[in-house]
Amino acid sequence: MRKEDEIIARLVAWFDSRLGLSHPMLRPVPEYAVNPFYWLGALTVVAFVIQGVTGMLMMLYYVPSPIQAFQSTQYIFQQVYYGRFLESVHLYTAYAMIMLAFMHMMRGYFVSVHKKPREMMWIVGMVMGFVTLGFGFTGYLLPWTVVSKSATDVGIGMIDALPAQISWLLSFLVVGAGGDATELLRFYDLHVVVLPAVLLVLLTLKMYMLECHGISEPATGVVSQEKRRLIPIFPDVSLYLLELAAVFGSAMLLISVIFPLNLPPQYSPQLAAQFTPQPDWYFLWIYQILKISIFEGPGLSVALSLVTLLFILLFLLPFIDRSKKRRLIDRPIFVTLGLIFVAELIVLAYWGLITPGQIIPFEQAALVIGGTALIIAFVSFGAYWVLFSRIKRQTSSGPQAPTKFAALFSFGALATGGAFAIGNTMNTTVNIIVQGLDWWKALLLVSSIIMLAFVILASALLIYRIELPNGSLSRRIRFLEKMIHESK
Amino acid sequence: MNRNDLLVTVLVILQLVSTNYLWGLDAASSVSQARFAIFLAIDLLSFAMIAYIYRKAEWREQTYRIWLLLGSFGLVLLLVSSLIFT
Repeated sequence: MRKEDEIIARLVAWFDSRLGLSHPMLRPVPEYAVNPFYWLGALTVVAFVIQGVTGMLMMLYYVPSPIQAFQSTQYIFQQVYYGRFLESVHLYTAYAMIMLAFMHMMRGYFVSVHKKPREMMWIVGMVMGFVTLGFGFTGYLLPWTVVSKSATDVGIGMIDALPAQISWLLSFLVVGAGGDATELLRFYDLHVVVLPAVLLVLLTLKMYMLECHGISEPATGVVSQEKRRLIPIFPDVSLYLLELAAVFGSAMLLISVIFPLNLPPQYSPQLAAQFTPQPDWYFLWIYQILKISIFEGPGLSVALSLVTLLFILLFLLPFIDRSKKRRLIDRPIFVTLGLIFVAELIVLAYWGLITPGQIIPFEQAALVIGGTALIIAFVSFGAYWVLFSRIKRQTSSGPQAPTKFAALFSFGALATGGAFAIGNTMNTTVNIIVQGLDWWKALLLVSSIIMLAFVILASALLIYRIELPNGSLSRRIRFLEKMIHESK
Repeated sequence: MNRNDLLVTVLVILQLVSTNYLWGLDAASSVSQARFAIFLAIDLLSFAMIAYIYRKAEWREQTYRIWLLLGSFGLVLLLVSSLIFT
């Protein structure tokens, strides 16, 4: 070895022996986990890091006082180099962080990561989800615009509807007793000090538990030996994570260019009086529930209790869904409930978005919420029946692929029926929202929803049949069949 | 030189040009903000593609053509965006 190489080797060995670079703390990862869906939590952390960096840069200029908050935000927008870009990236990455955290949670739900021995990981993850929403809530107020202040005031107003002890504690924590000035200062402190510190502690705890229990197996429960091959976290998996982070970062940058942030007018009580407050998209579903007529006035505490109950159920999920079955195929009820939950959130959020400040009659809400649940349950159980019954029956021959003519004819019929059903559903929904509900419109809506469900179901069946002879779907299903047969 | 080597060469050149362009931007101009974001995105996406090709080679696996095509499409989209949004 040349003398220079020997010096470098000794230097590397010195650092390695002190820093432990060649002995990574994290355990290797099975190959089946090299898949973006396994790294949604890691991407949420990447979003958090981007938030931290952009946030710290904005902290250099932001002043948390009602008089200067808007001016300092405007200064960042107009005077600071790349200030508008920083604000836009901070906002869209915050949105992405909330969306990724939600997707991470729902993926965990569907693939049963909450089951033994990962119950506490689920609960800690749920707390982290709340902290993430807390980031959104506290950060929204900081620019002190009419949009942010009005929406936050509505949120703070809800605290009064809670039981007295909780209401007092929350009011003290988030508002204080000094009006706007203390409110903004507390929101700022929570946003830049308390919540990041709490999230970092929880993240460490969750990483520790992940190292103890390892990455969960896929929900199919079928993993080949090849896919179980362990890959070291450094440099292999780290490189994969860097790829994901780079793609995510470039997507955030592109979005911030296409939709640059515009600063709404400064908050003033006079301007706020003319403005219909509406929360940011991630709270729209709660906003829409609170606008249902029976939850007006004294009913508000009932609505908040229902939302709280929903969160408690999510927290306690590992102790409710105690079955040892982890595969999707074995959990039709919980999978259907999960799909209904996601669909209801989307429907309520969109509905809240298009009806700002509008009180929703109870019958209308019941129809939309109930109809959504019904259609999802119908489609989900139908899909289970169509796709999985064959596996469970263990038939040897299975359905045959349709002829080309039959496939084309079916496709044309389904496309026409689908277009009609979608158009009619949307048209009737808009008519109900604009003109109110009557029996004829209700009948029309229910029939078009049933037709839409039928089209979706029939399309799934058609794709399955067309794809059957040589496609990846049939290969996967046959692979599953084979594994089930072998396990028996 | 195989297809992947050629692609990595093009990506490295693109990164160099893009990074050089970033440093030369007038930070005080509002138009520069969009340009800065787009060319930073080009750098990041190029890095992701190079890392993907390198990782697959290290693991002795074939690169999926669809990911390389999608990445290249993304780069073209970003370059076109740099003309539209700036």
